[in-house]
Amino acid sequence: MRAGVLAAALLLPVVAAAQDCSPVLPGGTQLESARYSLGYRAVPGKPAVGKHFSLELAICPKPGTAAPESVRVDAHMPEHRHGMNYKAQVVAASGGRYKADGLMFHMPGRWEFIFDVRSSGRTDRLTQSFVLE
Amino acid sequence: MSGRPELRTQQAAPFAGSFAGIFAGLVACGTLFAQAAGFTTSAVEFTAAETARILQHGPWPMAWSPDPSNRVSGKPGAIAFGEALFLDPRLSGNGKVSCATCHLPERLFADGKARGEGFVQLDRNTPGLLNVRLNRWFAWDGAADSLWSQSIRPIVDKREMAASTTHVGTLVRGEAALSARYREVFGEAPAEDDRVTVNVGKALAAYQETLVSGRTAFDEFRDAVARGDRAAADRYPAAAQRGLKIFAGKGNCGFCHFGPNFSNGEFGDIGIPFFAAPGRVDPGRHEGIRKLQASRATLLGAYSDDPARTTATGTRHVTLEHRNWGEFRVPGLRNVAGTAPYMHNGHLATLQDVVRHYSALNEDRLHADGEKILKPLGLSEAEAADLVAFLESLGGRP
Repeated sequence: MRAGVLAAALLLPVVAAAQDCSPVLPGGTQLESARYSLGYRAVPGKPAVGKHFSLELAICPKPGTAAPESVRVDAHMPEHRHGMNYKAQVVAASGGRYKADGLMFHMPGRWEFIFDVRSSGRTDRLTQSFVLE
Repeated sequence: MSGRPELRTQQAAPFAGSFAGIFAGLVACGTLFAQAAGFTTSAVEFTAAETARILQHGPWPMAWSPDPSNRVSGKPGAIAFGEALFLDPRLSGNGKVSCATCHLPERLFADGKARGEGFVQLDRNTPGLLNVRLNRWFAWDGAADSLWSQSIRPIVDKREMAASTTHVGTLVRGEAALSARYREVFGEAPAEDDRVTVNVGKALAAYQETLVSGRTAFDEFRDAVARGDRAAADRYPAAAQRGLKIFAGKGNCGFCHFGPNFSNGEFGDIGIPFFAAPGRVDPGRHEGIRKLQASRATLLGAYSDDPARTTATGTRHVTLEHRNWGEFRVPGLRNVAGTAPYMHNGHLATLQDVVRHYSALNEDRLHADGEKILKPLGLSEAEAADLVAFLESLGGRP
């Protein structure tokens, strides 16, 4: 009985987080992994070659999943076999929101965003491929 | 990182440059849909993708805004003071070497030598200074993140001008005319050596920001394409048009030589030997990042005049990677015909040599973890001549 109460208490933040969290960001893009829904959008607007930008993220755990313990954002050009020259820094806000600063695409061509969401000893990797003109 | 990542890839392309997107952008710029769909002159048919890339190389000149990290940027008094300092050999340790000793105004602010010569012969080519204000990083290795910071470096480098902050501070404080102009520009008397040296760098930067190249035959062509003016476009030499098609098309030169200044402002390893001397390598960007991170004169430091550090994002987030070894800054190409010899060490004497280098690129010389975008272009003699004709149309031909 006591163990059951403890388990329920531990689950409460997870359930509450899932209910309060929306991965939908106006004008953004939504990705899914087994355990998370992730929305993102670039600010101040569409990325351009050689211009630093940030990403706003909304990451929502699916039922039974813990909130992320860490979030990493990166990008690379698969055909060129290189990444960005800058390391994005991710800062958490409330309600499953995050902001990643310091990204820059230094070439036109096909890039791929990489979002690593880690919790409970596992990492969900969500990716998005796109062409930057 | 532990734990097995779960892979999910979405196929949507949120930032894809669709024709609709290009169209919207062109309409916003007051241009025509016809250009987004490709452009044909009497000599060459440019695809839609080539046309889009050509339009990205303008308009020229670019809009100017002052450098927020330099409070005297754009101020006439600072520009005049900076020009005087640029020509003043008293800034050097022996009183005989000025900035203009290597950055000769009559040579587009380069020196025409393979490697620069200050107190000794240097490891690297002297870059021209036209359009230098557009750089994100300065020097071949990007060790400086501002023009004012870069302007200090040669003064205190024992191989170049061989002075010191003490020398600069003593000079500016001790010479009545210099001291008066300093006070006029900065609103304070020259005091502490480091501060005086930084402010000398800021005046030098204010002057160098004014060194902007003029419009070229290419710019006239590019704007004709933007207007959909085929008659005006036809005035651009056919050989240059054919070379431009290679540059914007199969050459993929615009991956790095991007935008109005023909540089993405970053760094690359293009297979140029990086031995500075037998047994001694030039680490390029790898060492540049290390120097930047050790410097007090950066956009993140106390000498920046921008409290918000609005231009310091690159400095804050730049990351040191092994692949930076042997990378050098991608130079802009405007006036390239007048700044021979080429590459970070002046290894290539002529534009023909540069085109030949890319045409018969030795991939074995590229680092194992370097860019995989460079492939030998395999140009014919006629194609190589066309590419040179295009590069010459970017100005600078003596």
